[in-house]
Amino acid sequence: MWKPITVAAVLAGALSCSQQAAAQDADVMHWWTSGGESRAVAVFAKEYDKRGGKWIDDASVGPQAEHAAALNRIAGGNPPTAMQWNIGVAVRQLAEQGVLRPLDDLAKKGNWEANLPPLLVKNMTYDGHVIAVPVNIHGANWMFYSTKVFDALKMQPPKTWDEFLADAPKIQAAGYIPIAYGANAQQVDWLFEALLAGVGGNDLYRSVWVNHDAKAAGSAAMVHVFDVMGQLRQYVDAGSPNRKWNDSLALVENNKAALMIVGDWAKGDFAAANKKLGTDYGCQMAPGNQDAYVMTVDVFVFPKNNKPDQKAAQDKLATLMMDPAVQTEFNAFKGSMPSRLDANVADLDACAQLGKKVMAGGAANQLPNFALAFSPDTQGQIEDLLGNYWSNKSMSPADAAKQLATIIGNAGH
Amino acid sequence: MATVASQAVGRAYRPRSLAAKIALTPTILVMLGCYYASITWTVYISMTRSFLLPVYHFAGATQYHRLFATPRWQVAYTNMFLFGALDILGTLAVGVLLAVLLDRSVRFEGIFRTILLYPLSISFIVTGLTWQWILSPTIGVQQLVRSFGWSDFVFDWITQPDTAIYTLVFAGIWHQSGLIMAIMLAGLRGVDREIWRAARIEGIPVWRTYISIVLPILRPLMVTCVVLIAIAVVKSYELVVAMTNGGPGFSSDLPGKFVVDFEFERANIGQASAAATVMLGSVLAIVVPYLYFELARKNR
Repeated sequence: MWKPITVAAVLAGALSCSQQAAAQDADVMHWWTSGGESRAVAVFAKEYDKRGGKWIDDASVGPQAEHAAALNRIAGGNPPTAMQWNIGVAVRQLAEQGVLRPLDDLAKKGNWEANLPPLLVKNMTYDGHVIAVPVNIHGANWMFYSTKVFDALKMQPPKTWDEFLADAPKIQAAGYIPIAYGANAQQVDWLFEALLAGVGGNDLYRSVWVNHDAKAAGSAAMVHVFDVMGQLRQYVDAGSPNRKWNDSLALVENNKAALMIVGDWAKGDFAAANKKLGTDYGCQMAPGNQDAYVMTVDVFVFPKNNKPDQKAAQDKLATLMMDPAVQTEFNAFKGSMPSRLDANVADLDACAQLGKKVMAGGAANQLPNFALAFSPDTQGQIEDLLGNYWSNKSMSPADAAKQLATIIGNAGH
Repeated sequence: MATVASQAVGRAYRPRSLAAKIALTPTILVMLGCYYASITWTVYISMTRSFLLPVYHFAGATQYHRLFATPRWQVAYTNMFLFGALDILGTLAVGVLLAVLLDRSVRFEGIFRTILLYPLSISFIVTGLTWQWILSPTIGVQQLVRSFGWSDFVFDWITQPDTAIYTLVFAGIWHQSGLIMAIMLAGLRGVDREIWRAARIEGIPVWRTYISIVLPILRPLMVTCVVLIAIAVVKSYELVVAMTNGGPGFSSDLPGKFVVDFEFERANIGQASAAATVMLGSVLAIVVPYLYFELARKNR
């Protein structure tokens, strides 16, 4: 026999049950799907479950798919608990739209500001509020090389771009590809940043990438950067156009190419191909980049949410992501360095140790990558210019620098 | 084909009944709401300073000034006409030729028909990737010919900025000509046998009969074919993404890819809307007079 009061009680019971369950739930959106990446994100998931929550994994293939899905969910009133982004102008734009939850209380409690590099602190704050949790620091301006190729040639990996230009004809004559490179937007970004810091120097880099100084972008020094870039065209193989970065890296893995300019995420691919650091491949900062670390940072942001239980879940998530011990474990799989300067890095590999040393050089060595420096719109315009310059041999370095100056001039500050 | 069919039906009975109107109402509402309202919105957004999110303050032609000053858009817009003209003419020529050959009652026609229609069942993504591999100088045709001993053979169109757009035309023709063949073959089979008999008695050669008599009869069918290919040209996005990704540089970019890149990757809906509006305008400027001319011709 059903009485109204029983029904109500049952309903109330069910409701409170579901709410209790929801209090444990953290729906986390990210795009970490490759072998090393998924092992890394599993560290967060395991830790969150251990602390009494329930991690709901919501992975997308690639950043664009994740961003589109996340923005749709926010617009539809069903935001995820947390979502991954690359720190930079895009994150600030999200904060500007007022969709991100400020994390000031947690930041103060965890003393985040004192334990993070200043460039990160600046970019994870909007209007005085902390709005993002940085979980790692990747370096984009690395040079990974095949030790077998350099041993066979009895040569040393180049320390400057001039050295590379002098060595490249010899490498090519011996039947190797001097530089593994796939001409697409992603790889042209990495190459150009390494050239800008390595040929133009950190000061030029900072005046264009940080201060958006159009005059510096069109200067003679910049023309020289484009000139060196143009000379590299002859040292790539015929399969270069539109080749994915991991296919380019495979040329180094298989000892067909001498080196590649690529971020430290390459280590995961080497590991998957059963290659060992030291015996099969080596890492150094890109030529001329010995005092430069182009930072690429993954952050999690926490969209505003009406459900009270979600705030607790966000607190729990953000706290554990900023836990130095958890960060050390996470970054061992991810191939990057912990964002927290007080995290233990003694057990990380030789590349990470080298990166740590360059980073320790202070703010002068820490350079922003594209995402940190420009809006996606400006980044896209620069990528179009660089891609066009690379493929179009009739375009002069001076013309390229002039076009860059126009784009930088329109980028604003 | 569609126009022919609807006219035949239209003559048989005219759907003036209430039931038909009720049945059509949802479609009309969806058309108005989803298509025309969205088009209007996009056109309006293209005349604002919208960036990450829509802004409704009218700002005139600023987006269009920037759009037409963008080198990448200039290339993409020119490419649409180049790619469109070559793809429409090429697909039509190959499709009609195949249909005529099959119409001469070859043996195993069924098998040929299936083989030739097969590309159509493959998505543009797979088509693009396959052609990318075939044309890639390091793993494709060039490498194959070199392995036969012709060691300085060069076929690297897909990696050259001047020629990459033509490789898209290859793939487009390969993908679509089967459909055109099927449509034209159906039309050829519908041509009155008496015409053929008369032509034979008059001693007119077969090729002349096709060109001067049979194909002109099938003109309405060809209009349908042109419209079908033109739609594929304008919306082509997957093919470029899978095959060249717009490169080298942006030399093989097309407006469809330009719009998607700006809308979703660069979060610049103002530029994306302006580009989409220019696309729409250009298509209307070509298709409307063409259809008007063809339909007026037939009604005369």
